[in-house]
Amino acid sequence: MRGVYFDHGAASPLLPEVRAEMERWLAVTGSPMSLHEWARGPADAVEEARADVAALLGWHPDTVVFTAGATEARNLAVKGAMWARGANPPVLVADPLAHASTLAACRSLTRIAGELRLADVDAEGRVVVSSLAALAPGADLVTITHGQAEVGTVQDAVPLVAAARAAAQGIVVHVDAEETAGLLPMHDGLGADLLSIGGRVMGAPAWVGALLVRPGTPLHPIIEGGLEESGKRGGAHDVPAIAGLGLAARIAHREMHARSAWMRACADRLATGLLATPGVRLNGPPAAERLPGHVQVSVAGVEGEALALALAARDVAASPGSACTFGAGKASPVLEAMGRDDEAARSAVLLVAGPSTTDDEIDLAVRAFADSVDTLRRMSPDAP
Amino acid sequence: MSDVPRTVDALGTWCPVPIALMRRAMTGSAPGALFELLADDPLVAIDLPAWCHDSGHVLEEMSDADGVWRARVRVVANPRGAPRR
Repeated sequence: MRGVYFDHGAASPLLPEVRAEMERWLAVTGSPMSLHEWARGPADAVEEARADVAALLGWHPDTVVFTAGATEARNLAVKGAMWARGANPPVLVADPLAHASTLAACRSLTRIAGELRLADVDAEGRVVVSSLAALAPGADLVTITHGQAEVGTVQDAVPLVAAARAAAQGIVVHVDAEETAGLLPMHDGLGADLLSIGGRVMGAPAWVGALLVRPGTPLHPIIEGGLEESGKRGGAHDVPAIAGLGLAARIAHREMHARSAWMRACADRLATGLLATPGVRLNGPPAAERLPGHVQVSVAGVEGEALALALAARDVAASPGSACTFGAGKASPVLEAMGRDDEAARSAVLLVAGPSTTDDEIDLAVRAFADSVDTLRRMSPDAP
Repeated sequence: MSDVPRTVDALGTWCPVPIALMRRAMTGSAPGALFELLADDPLVAIDLPAWCHDSGHVLEEMSDADGVWRARVRVVANPRGAPRR
């Protein structure tokens, strides 16, 4: 492919070592669940991956339930915990910046009966602790997004988890760590009962993920039918992807700090370059509180989708506002929740650097951005 | 033989999954090995004793508190109905 890639929030390349590991397991026959010798290699690969993922997040291997990606892990957390609890009607608390799949699972559970309560966030996307604590009494589950995928806000999760527990005895706490696992250090799964992760951020396939389940947390499978994953997720193991995730977790454990430092430096250079264009505003908190590599800006007088297309025509891959809701035809509810107006929400564009991004690529993207904004503004009667 | 049990966490799963998880975990274990089942499906109170009776494994303890059943089962040699490896 031509051009430069700043859409790591949507898809990211496999690490070469991960790809090689996956290819090795694609050539192997045998289910980890079988009792004969053909099972031994795949079963060992899955258990080794389980240990590597657990080590990255500071939990015990027995807590890891592999899934087909982070979206399934989030659905399993919310629906599985509530089905196991028999919460009827369920009362759920979420942050309004949660991934679309988290909110969809919450809305699905409370569609007929129950309640979804959304906590307040400040103008830079931080969840207001007192708001979360005020909503938690009487709730069955609270879900917190550790790293926000659009504006990049990283929550100080541990105090939020503690506030929810203090306000509601026995509440189930889910933390979505898809964007942060492998980039930011975690101890004891941030104190959550359920921690969802995905492979994309650490150079494994996006179609593999995991839910970490604290011992003693009841969880009913949402995909039923087998004893795989301790009865908590039926269906054949994707051995190549799981082995790839395990290796990626092992590498991330080793290289996390250097990788994050480089991606933060990329984001700084990128943000400085983009903000040099007049009428451009950074969304989200300062770099130290943002996901490494993340830069989302709103551009006065320009539609985010048009800008992403103009960038694509200049060989720069980026996303309009959100990597996940493109095509929905709606302004970002995330920016709306942060108190930004409709124009800011509709004019947002997201660029996410990866571990292999170079300074030259950033400079090229900045030039293409300035040229695209200039061109689009010349076409717009509303432009400043 | 250690009396520190290996835990099978079946919390949130419904019968017959807890029994199936125990059966799978115990398969191939040495006689005398101790397993602890955690389950919150009330049917386990019926199914586990029945399975132990059928298989020959020894149900040493079973109690429930706050909706969670804890049961300790010790492996016997040559249990009935065990899969052959």
